[in-house]
Amino acid sequence: MACARATDNTRIALPRAHPRRTAAAFAAIVYLALPLGVHGAGTESFALKEIAAGVYVHPGQALALDAPGHDDIANIGFVVGTRCVAVVDTGGSVRIGRALRAAIGRHTRLPVCYVINTHVHVDHVLGNAAFTGDKPQFVGHADLGAALTRSRDFFLKNYAADLDPPASATQIIEPGQLVAIGRDLELDLGGRRLILRAWGKAHTDCDLTVYEAQSRTLFSGDLLFVQRTPVLDGSISGWLKAIDTLAAQPAAHVIPGHGEVQSDARAAFAAERAYLEGLLDGVRAQLAQGKPLQEAIRELQSPTQVGWLLWDETQPRNVARAYQELEWE
Amino acid sequence: MPRCDRPESGPRSQPRRGARARAALWILLSAAASFAGADTQSPANGAWQYMRGQFYGTRDIGEIGDQRMSIEAPASTPDPAATPVVLRFGPDLAGKVKQIRVIIDNNPSPLVTTMNLKSGLPVEEIDLRVRIDRFTSVRAIAETDDGQLEMRSTWVNASGGCSAPPSAAQAGTVGEIRFRPSGDARALQISIRHPNNSGFQIDPRSGDPIPPHFISHIRLLSGGETLMEADTGISLSENPTLRLATSRPLSTPMTFEATDIPSQQLFTATWNGGGVRAGNR
Repeated sequence: MACARATDNTRIALPRAHPRRTAAAFAAIVYLALPLGVHGAGTESFALKEIAAGVYVHPGQALALDAPGHDDIANIGFVVGTRCVAVVDTGGSVRIGRALRAAIGRHTRLPVCYVINTHVHVDHVLGNAAFTGDKPQFVGHADLGAALTRSRDFFLKNYAADLDPPASATQIIEPGQLVAIGRDLELDLGGRRLILRAWGKAHTDCDLTVYEAQSRTLFSGDLLFVQRTPVLDGSISGWLKAIDTLAAQPAAHVIPGHGEVQSDARAAFAAERAYLEGLLDGVRAQLAQGKPLQEAIRELQSPTQVGWLLWDETQPRNVARAYQELEWE
Repeated sequence: MPRCDRPESGPRSQPRRGARARAALWILLSAAASFAGADTQSPANGAWQYMRGQFYGTRDIGEIGDQRMSIEAPASTPDPAATPVVLRFGPDLAGKVKQIRVIIDNNPSPLVTTMNLKSGLPVEEIDLRVRIDRFTSVRAIAETDDGQLEMRSTWVNASGGCSAPPSAAQAGTVGEIRFRPSGDARALQISIRHPNNSGFQIDPRSGDPIPPHFISHIRLLSGGETLMEADTGISLSENPTLRLATSRPLSTPMTFEATDIPSQQLFTATWNGGGVRAGNR
């Protein structure tokens, strides 16, 4: 596959050659061991899968947010209509956004008319600037703009290298078209309808899902993590409520924010639901016993899920967030 | 320069307390500003060097022995906006500590609290939740009834692998107070719904600074006596939380009071024993 090459001197095809998760985890270790400069995974072989006719996904890598290649950890994709193309999430750097734009160009000459962000986290939004040349409508949750503004300094301080130099706030692009909670937005790509839904606080405070009606494909954003410890940044009770609705969708394909594409919504959300319910019950029990935050963190540290990536780092934070929410129930 | 944080020593009018606390805040902020900057790789301790002179002069400070006193905080905080800090006092010190200061060297406002305890109250543990701005020392200095000083410190890294963007603030009714006792009633966790805005945050919608609005003073009373009284500031987390554990069951009823800046609003609730619930307003 021809592709945008940032570093042409290496052919590190490991993650591509081994589609299985164990291999991806192994690849993560290999990447960490590589000398600086040869990482930048994803641009030397920008993988793309056609999930259904006209629905494409670039699978993100199983890496931590501070690992080399961290800008390519989210699943990002696009839908091609007869009139134009909609992008769903743009990756964690302008470079990844550009690689996605180049990949789109290899499949269609239609313009990109919409760039949709599923939420505020870096790995889903920092590629937005790669699409400004298309003059698309940027679309997001009604609260995404505020969340991006709140995160702007954090992004510029910690992720400047993922923007074009000189890194500037103008590259952090806010949505021009907003989706309000309870008022789904329908976008017509020509022969393709996307239904955008904004959720109450769940993974974050600005989660948005995209449903492509014809192929019954659900882009869940980070409302679904597969084989990666979910990050709680919004509300644990809100997230479980969202899952109740999402798991009942008649989706034939579910594209999670992280992890492999799933084929059945109910089954897809089962493990994450079990995890969040366990976390909810565990923290409530700690609170009922009058246990302080640090004890709750300690007592709920043992993994309840097998093989999930980044458990050790993510679980304490999730317990802390759930505790601070549930102590006010 | 005036002392930054004179603790309460008797009843005082609300406005005066506010003015003094506000002045204290600005002094602290300017003091912190003069130390900020250069060293971001290791926890600089300039703020502590300054405060040591201000608060304790050249007095000796004991720093050895976890049996007497210890401080615990996560080496890498899971939540920079609400990092648990635990102080423990062994049999040598429990009941003999009259004042505790908690200082976060590299925070914009390093002095977290100056807390005075009733003489003889056998406090074994104090838990707080604090904001951590960046890699820093967190230290606690205890002064005993007979004027001895003990200090323990620990390091906390706030970067957490750069994976923690600021999260959405929680909603809720400002001033709501919750009491959460342990099963044996020897420990009580008290939380108050309050944004505890530092004045450094920016309103994402307007782009304007959010004005400071934080709990500046708290008090715990039982049977007409003050058990604990503290000046507090913006280094306490949103929804400030304090947990006290003593060597014997706490007596009830117990009343908690909190005052904020700049509204000078007084929030109060009474715990009448029993399970986990809100106190009476």
